[in-house]
Amino acid sequence: MAKLTIDGKQIEVPDGTRLFDACHEARGEALPHFCYHPDLSIAGVCRLCQVEVEGMPKLTIACNTTVRDDMVVHTRNERVQTAVKQILEMHLINHPVDCPICDQAGECGLQDQYMDYGLYESEIEMGDKVNKEKAQVIGPHVILDKERCVLCSRCVRFCEEITKTGELGIYNRGDRAEIGTAPGVELDNNYSLNTVDICPVGALTSRDFRFQKRVWMLRATPSICPGCATGCNVRVDHEGGRVYRLKPRRNDDVNGPWMCDSGRMIYKDVHAEGRLGSALVRRDGGLESLSWADARRELLGMLKPGSVAFALADPSLSLEELVLFRRLARRLAGEVQIAGGVAGDGLGEGDEILLSSDRRPNRHALSWLDLAEVAPADLAAALEGARGTVLVLGGDPVAHLEVAAALKGVRLVYLGTRHNATAAAADLVIPLSMWPEKDALWANKQGRIQRGQRAVAAPGDAREDWRLLVDMLGHAGDDLDLAGLPALRRFVAQELGLADEDSLNRLPAAGLVPDVAVASPGSAPTGGE
Amino acid sequence: MSRDGCNILSARFGRADGHLLKTYEAEGGYRALRMVLDGMKADEVIDVVKESGLRGRGGAGFPTGVKWGFVPKDAEQVYFFVNADESEPGTFKDRYLLDYDPHQTIEGTIISCFAVRANLAFIYIRGEFGWLVDRAQKAVDEAYAAGFLGENILGSGYSLDMIVHKGAGAYICGEETGLINSVTGTKGQPSIKPPFPAVAGYLGKPTIVNNVETVAAVPWIMNNGAAAYQATGTEKSAGTKLWSVSGPVRNQGVFEVPLGLPFAEFYRDELGGMIDGEELKACIVGGSSVPVLTADEIMGCTLDYESLQQAGTMLGSGGMILIPKSADMVELIKVLMHFYWDESCGQCTPCREGTGWLHRIVGRLLKGEGVPEDLDLLDKVCNGMAGLTICPLSDAAVMPMQSFLQRFRSEFEARIHETAAPGSPSRWARGE
Repeated sequence: MAKLTIDGKQIEVPDGTRLFDACHEARGEALPHFCYHPDLSIAGVCRLCQVEVEGMPKLTIACNTTVRDDMVVHTRNERVQTAVKQILEMHLINHPVDCPICDQAGECGLQDQYMDYGLYESEIEMGDKVNKEKAQVIGPHVILDKERCVLCSRCVRFCEEITKTGELGIYNRGDRAEIGTAPGVELDNNYSLNTVDICPVGALTSRDFRFQKRVWMLRATPSICPGCATGCNVRVDHEGGRVYRLKPRRNDDVNGPWMCDSGRMIYKDVHAEGRLGSALVRRDGGLESLSWADARRELLGMLKPGSVAFALADPSLSLEELVLFRRLARRLAGEVQIAGGVAGDGLGEGDEILLSSDRRPNRHALSWLDLAEVAPADLAAALEGARGTVLVLGGDPVAHLEVAAALKGVRLVYLGTRHNATAAAADLVIPLSMWPEKDALWANKQGRIQRGQRAVAAPGDAREDWRLLVDMLGHAGDDLDLAGLPALRRFVAQELGLADEDSLNRLPAAGLVPDVAVASPGSAPTGGE
Repeated sequence: MSRDGCNILSARFGRADGHLLKTYEAEGGYRALRMVLDGMKADEVIDVVKESGLRGRGGAGFPTGVKWGFVPKDAEQVYFFVNADESEPGTFKDRYLLDYDPHQTIEGTIISCFAVRANLAFIYIRGEFGWLVDRAQKAVDEAYAAGFLGENILGSGYSLDMIVHKGAGAYICGEETGLINSVTGTKGQPSIKPPFPAVAGYLGKPTIVNNVETVAAVPWIMNNGAAAYQATGTEKSAGTKLWSVSGPVRNQGVFEVPLGLPFAEFYRDELGGMIDGEELKACIVGGSSVPVLTADEIMGCTLDYESLQQAGTMLGSGGMILIPKSADMVELIKVLMHFYWDESCGQCTPCREGTGWLHRIVGRLLKGEGVPEDLDLLDKVCNGMAGLTICPLSDAAVMPMQSFLQRFRSEFEARIHETAAPGSPSRWARGE
C-alpha cells in the first residue's frame, strides 16, 4: 500500500495504482480528462489531467504516473487550474461549437468540462478555425464529424485493443490530424457503437440515434440485454413510452463497460411492426381482436387441468415466468408433456468478446427448472393425434414445418409478443410484455441472476405477464397469493431451493450466482384439486 | 574551416577523400576501437566517457556517460540508435560529419555500442539526406569488410550489426521516442515517458539514442583520454562544439571551436563579421528552438552551456543563425511558426492546436490584420503550450515566439499601428 496526500487529504491505495485513480478516490470526482479510459492503454495526449507533484519541477499528467509512498499531490491549486483552463481552451479553439445540432450535447466532455474548468471568454473567431469534414459515414452504425474530434484516440485504441480489428487510425499530423479509416475500410465490427460511447465529444455519433432525441429528455432505466446468454448490463434510455437507445452499464463480471451492436439494436423489436397489442381469437377461420375481458375468459376456459395436451415455454421468458410456467404446466398438462423451448431455436454464431452463440437470455434457467428442450420432430410427434389445448409461451415453434403440420387436432393457445407463424396458427393469441416493459430476472450463461427494471409500458392490452400466470394458476386451483414483486421473488427463490429466500430481493450490483441444486424439484402445489 | 589546433571532429571536413576508410585509418582511425576491444571492459568505457564530461550534442546537453549508465546491467538485448535526423532549422553539422567523415561516427558508434552492450545499431538518417544514406551505407560496408562490424569484431568476441535507416522526413522523428517509433514502423510520434528508452525503447528493450556529433567525439576521447577532452572547453562544458553558422556573415559553414570561446571572438575571427552594409541585430544561437538573443546580449556570452543558459537561451544543437538589422523579425517568426505548425505530430492538444494558433496570429499580423490584443494573446497561447506536452516540440515553438516578442516587441507593435484600422474588416469587433 502507498500512503499519499492529495489536496491535503491523506489516502492509502494499493501499490501500482495510477495517480489518476488515486485522485479520483481522494477528490470524489475524476480529474478533467478526455483520453484516459480505465479499460484502454494510456495515451497521455489530451494533457488535461495535469497535477502538481511536490518535488517535480513541471506539472505531470496523472494518468501516466504511478503512486509512490509519501507523494504530495495538488489537483486544485492555481497553477494546475490555470494549466487545465489553458489546455481546455486549446481543445476548443478549432471546435465548431455546433452544440445546437450535435447529438452529444448534454453528455459532452467539452461542454461539461468547460462549465467545470473553463468559463473563459473565447479569443478565437469562427473564421479562424480549421475546417474538416463533417458527417462522414464510416460504417453501418457510426458517423464521424472530424471537426468535433479532440483526437483523444480512444476509438482508435478501442479498435486496436478490444476488438483487435484496427479499422480506425489518426491520419495526417498537427492540427490537420484526423480520425479516419483507410480507403475501402469500414468501421463495421459488431462493437462499433462502443466507440460512440467512449467518444467524449460529438465526433462519433450513432447513425441510429442521430437526431432522434435530445439526451437530457431521456430517462435511464437499468436493465439487462436479452439479445444473448451473456446478459450484458444495459441502460435503457427512453422517453414518453418509447425506447430510444441502449447503452452498456459497467459490470466487470459480465460485460465490462461494453456491449455489442446487435444487442444494442434489439430495442427496435419493442416498437417494431408486428408487435401484438391485443388478444386475437379464431373466428370463421380468421383471427379477430378480442377485448381483454373476453380474452381472459376464453383463455381460462381453455386451460382446465387435464385439458392441456402439451405446454411449451421459450427461454426468452424471464426467470419468474419460467418458474410460474413450470408450475402451471405441471398442473395442467402433467410432467411429461412440458418442455422449455424448441431445441436448436435461438442459436447463432458467437464471438470471443461478448456475443454468445446462445441467443436466449435465460436458457441457463431451464436446467435449474428441469425443463428439457424438445426437438422439433419430437414435438411434432407429441402433437400428432393429440387432443385438447396446446399452450405455448413465447418463441415461435410453429415456424418449424413439421410442428405446423402436426397441429390439426389441437387448439393452440399462444402467449407471445409478435405476429409470427405461431400466432397465425393459434386459436387464441394473448399479448405479452417485452423485456423493457417488465421488471424481471434473467439467468445468464454463467448462471448469474441479474435484474432488469421496467422502463416503458407495454402496448395495448399486454399485461404484467407474471400476474397473468398467477391468475391462470389460481384459476387452475393453485392459489399462490403473491401480492407483489418481493413475494414473487421469494417464491422463485423457494422454487429454486435457494437457502436465503430473500436473496433475489437483494441482488448485488454485479448479480448473483446462486448455488442451485441442478434440476430443482420445486415445492408442492398448494390448494386442493 | 576549423580553428587552428581544434579538429577533434572536423579533421577531414572539406576533403575529397575524407570519407574513405583508407584515409581514416591512415590518420589513426579505428585505433581507439582496437584499444577498447583489446581488453577494456564495457563499464570502463562508460567511466571514461563520464569523466570526459561529454554531453549530448543533439540539443539537450545531457551527460552521455550518465545516459549510458541508465541501461539496466542485466539487460539481455540493448539497441543503439545514432540520431542523424538533423532537421532543426539552422543546423547542418551532422550532415558534415557523415558526409566528410562517416568512419569517425561509425567507430564512435561501435565503441558506444560496446559500452552499453548493444549488438544492433541503427544510423537513422533524415529522409531528405538521400545522398548521405548512400555515403553512410558505403562506409558501413567498408567497415564490415574490414572486420570492424559483424561477428566477433577483431577477434574480441564482441559482435555488432549496423543498419543505415532512412527516415521519411519528419522533424519530430528527431525526438528519440519518435525516432524509435518510426523505425518500428508505427506513426513517427513521441511516446509518453516513463518508461524512458534506456529502460524500454525499441521493441520494448533498453535503447540508447545519441546524436551523431556525440558519438563522433568518442574515438578521440578513447585515444586521448578523458582528461585531455575535459581540458578542452570549460569545467561544465567539456570539449569542442560544431557550430553551423548561417546568416549574412562573411564566413558561413560549420566551425569547430572549444566550448567557452567568447562569442565576440568567434564572430570576429571565424565569421569575419557581417557582410558589408549589414549590422548584427540578433542571434539564434542553438537552432531555431532556442530563445533569440539581441546583438548586445550575445556579444557578452561565451559559447558554452552555462553562459548561454545564463543569458536566457540554450546552446541547443549549435545551429547559429545571425540576424541582420535589415531583417523583419515578424517575417522571421512567421517562418518559424509555420515550421512548428507544419511539423507538430498532433497528438498532444496544446501543441497541435497551439502551434496552429500561433501561426495564424502571426500570419494576420504580417498581413496587417492584427489588433493590439494579439500580442498579449500570443503570449497567453505560449503559456498554454509550454511544459505541458509529451515532447519538447511545443516548447520549441514557444521559446522563439516568446523571446522574439519580448526582445523585439516594437517590431510587432509597428505591424499593428502601421496598418490596422479600428474595426478591421476581416474581423468582427471584440467586446461588442
